[in-house]
Amino acid sequence: MSGSMTSAPERRPRAGALLLAALLALAGCGAKEVVVQGQFPEPLMSKLPLTLGVWYEPEFREHEFFDEAKGRAESDWLVRTGEAQVELWDTLLTGMFERVVPMDARPAPDQMNPAVDAVLIPRVDELQYAIPAQTNIKVYEIWMRYAFELVTTQGETIADWTMTAYGKTPTAFLQSDEAAVNLAAVVALRDAGAHFATSFTRVPEVAAWMEALNAPAPTASAEAAAGPEDGP
Amino acid sequence: MNPHSFASRLVRLARLTPALLAALVGAGCVTSTVDEMVFNEPTEGVGDASVVILGRRHASDYETEPDFIQCVGKHIQRGDSSINVIGELEFLNSLYPWFEPRTAPLRPADLDRLMTQPPVAERLASLQTEYLIWVDGSTVQTNSAGSMTCGVGPGGAGCFGFGTWGNDSTYEATIWDFTDRAEVGRVNTSASGQSYMPAVVVPIPIIAPVQGTACDGLGDQLLKFLSSEH
Repeated sequence: MSGSMTSAPERRPRAGALLLAALLALAGCGAKEVVVQGQFPEPLMSKLPLTLGVWYEPEFREHEFFDEAKGRAESDWLVRTGEAQVELWDTLLTGMFERVVPMDARPAPDQMNPAVDAVLIPRVDELQYAIPAQTNIKVYEIWMRYAFELVTTQGETIADWTMTAYGKTPTAFLQSDEAAVNLAAVVALRDAGAHFATSFTRVPEVAAWMEALNAPAPTASAEAAAGPEDGP
Repeated sequence: MNPHSFASRLVRLARLTPALLAALVGAGCVTSTVDEMVFNEPTEGVGDASVVILGRRHASDYETEPDFIQCVGKHIQRGDSSINVIGELEFLNSLYPWFEPRTAPLRPADLDRLMTQPPVAERLASLQTEYLIWVDGSTVQTNSAGSMTCGVGPGGAGCFGFGTWGNDSTYEATIWDFTDRAEVGRVNTSASGQSYMPAVVVPIPIIAPVQGTACDGLGDQLLKFLSSEH
């Protein structure tokens, strides 16, 4: 009994050191996974007098980006943005439009869906990331290209356009690569929301459709506040 | 030489060693410069109004660090607790999406355009924001030299070597008056310093507090501008 008690403390540091060494050796090989998490504020703007339907395709709801390591020194990266995308767009659209209704299915001629003025279908076409190890610039970056479709409940296209979003965050002492990439993704998502909120009514087809609906009331002030920015 | 006095000197030196080491750790050399240009200083401080400090994040190759903005805000509040400094994230969230890097006003005149949005004007009025301070800049590593080897074995772990690196901080604060929609002051600060890390088994960091010095320099100048007590 006493023998086992005295021998145990001698073994532990050795086993601990070996375990630590093994973990250090494996640290560079494992895949890095980020499930993007963040909080998104509701936009502060006059609501557009429209009832907007929204449909998220499964690929959008579960959007993820995988990048395979190109060498031994690099890691595989898996960035899951789907959950955060849905959270952002739900919050943003609720703050932008008088009423937002989630659709039961993708609008189509035979598809029964709630009655709305139009249905927005967002899509992430492309996502790129950069970490300091790849660029030698001490910032983590995320870049995304979105594609939007605005359709009638019958599925006819009213407008389709693309939009980019960008987020970066500086390297911070004791911050892991995963935490920094998450933060950059949250900044990119906020940027996507800001870009959409300030440019939606300036998409020519959308502007024409709204004029036809006779619902452009708060648009003028939103455009004025957005300033002479490049179109989407 | 009296052996007793030599021994007592050694004992005194031994007693001082921890204090000397403590002074060395976290106290590399830093040089700092502050330039100030004020056009219209408030004569009685900001009173009940609030001040917001935001980082500029337009540049592609650097980003004004959020913790630096937080440091300047805390410095101002420590210097004069009557000044209400609104937190950066709190302000950005409550005025989303109008102060994001893509949409933030670049000139004081752009605030007029922002005020045409009734919800924005109401929110700014409720926050009682009198001054908006934009901080632009960053801290970068300028040089590094030396080498250090660390090892882990069954008997323990340790490092041996010497490393040194330099840091440069450059920040500029631009003060906007919300009421007059005008730029009323500008403060520049730059600091540089060299840090060292000798290692004999245990690495001993002797860090130059470059960013902290820049924060203090900028904070002191902003306090002079905003506070009636300074």
